[in-house]
Amino acid sequence: MKQKKLSIFTSKILYFFILTFFLVFLYFIYLDSFNKENISKAYITNQGDNTVSVINLNSLKKVKTINVGVAPLGITVLQKKQLVFIGNVGTDDISVIDAVNDKLIKTIKLHTAPLSLTSNSEETEIYITDWFKNNILTISVEDLKVSGSFKVGKTPSGVTFNEKYQYIIISNRDENTIEIYDKDHKLVKKIKAGAHPFGIYSIDDFVYVANVYDDSVSVINLVDWSKYNFLVGAHPYNVRVHNRIAYITNTVDDTLTIFDLSSKKTIKTIETGETPENLDFNFKLNLLVNTNWGGDSISIFDAQSLQLIKEIKTGAQSRSFGDFILH
Amino acid sequence: MKKIIFALVAIMFSASVFSHGPTPQKVQESVTIAASPQKTWEALKNYSELKKIMKVRSFKDKLMKAKYELIEKDVPFSDYNAQIRVKKGANDNESIVQWTARFYRTYKLNPPIPEGQDDATAVAAVKKIVGPGLEGFKKYVESQ
Repeated sequence: MKQKKLSIFTSKILYFFILTFFLVFLYFIYLDSFNKENISKAYITNQGDNTVSVINLNSLKKVKTINVGVAPLGITVLQKKQLVFIGNVGTDDISVIDAVNDKLIKTIKLHTAPLSLTSNSEETEIYITDWFKNNILTISVEDLKVSGSFKVGKTPSGVTFNEKYQYIIISNRDENTIEIYDKDHKLVKKIKAGAHPFGIYSIDDFVYVANVYDDSVSVINLVDWSKYNFLVGAHPYNVRVHNRIAYITNTVDDTLTIFDLSSKKTIKTIETGETPENLDFNFKLNLLVNTNWGGDSISIFDAQSLQLIKEIKTGAQSRSFGDFILH
Repeated sequence: MKKIIFALVAIMFSASVFSHGPTPQKVQESVTIAASPQKTWEALKNYSELKKIMKVRSFKDKLMKAKYELIEKDVPFSDYNAQIRVKKGANDNESIVQWTARFYRTYKLNPPIPEGQDDATAVAAVKKIVGPGLEGFKKYVESQ
């Protein structure tokens, strides 16, 4: 009898503990989902120390350093799937990071140097420029495996995806050309750019490419294939466009050129950290972020006023060639 | 034996880690000079020794930052760009001069990389310019 009473008592305690544990568990899941929905992050490839810095853009703090392969350079972020793909040119592989908990989940061997990466708009396929063997490699996002490749021009460098036309667009640095491929990997057009075309971006009917040796940006019309160039600062590296305004990193000047594509005039030139290379936006928080290779840092600007909000130390030789912000 | 192991490691390192063409190399060195930042900055603008090696692109007075390109063509590195910054030291009469160089090796195609055209050679050659260059400038400023 006594024993039975005791066992009822213990089972009640046990029940109470399980219930409490369950409620606490639910609470943490709730907190976690809250975090996932609200925090924007920048992923910075540090080529000099083989790491990726994770910057919380809400708190403007470095929150984590993730070890990846050797000499990470290119990057692309899948917004819907919450995955980050990093190209390591020293170990010829791709590091895949789960952006929910910022952990490395997979390393994909390539056997060639991945220079830059992007994905299609459905986020089912990743495109990688293969610098040495003049290919575009494709990775299946579902399988996290190389799914194919196709031949392109010499020294493919930047790669971008045009959502409107479903085009894969690349810059071939050493042959000064831009190539446009359709989603079946068929060449649509090959066009001359300036000298050493590198960072490339495409939105709506246009392609924009930074010509490093010419100190210029080429603008290519995807409808009638017309083209014009405009001058920027010394050794431009990459370009982004938002609301018909182009933003360009000038590596040698330590500046960004802000160029109005409608009036075709430079509106402003702003100072960055040392040797700015790549840039990306976060429209939710109204931020413009650029990586500083020389400064081992990122500069964060108010995207509207273009005032510097903060320069944050990252790792050695910060680059992030590609889209690097999780919205 | 130690030397052999070191050489083997160095070879492996240079072949695997630095075999990629598109990676810019970085040499960054600093020196502390016993003079105010303003005095050091003015001295940098007048110092003729550096101008023999490098062509001045710009002097930004407000930021105390100078930008340079290389004049000399016969060197084992390419696409050299550098900047020298003058920053505050531990006190008002001390400044820190930081020289950051960005460059590539001369051979930019696929491996194998010919001897003397690799990243290690390029880095060593730039270090020979930066280190003595900073020391020479320090002596110049402190003797003023």
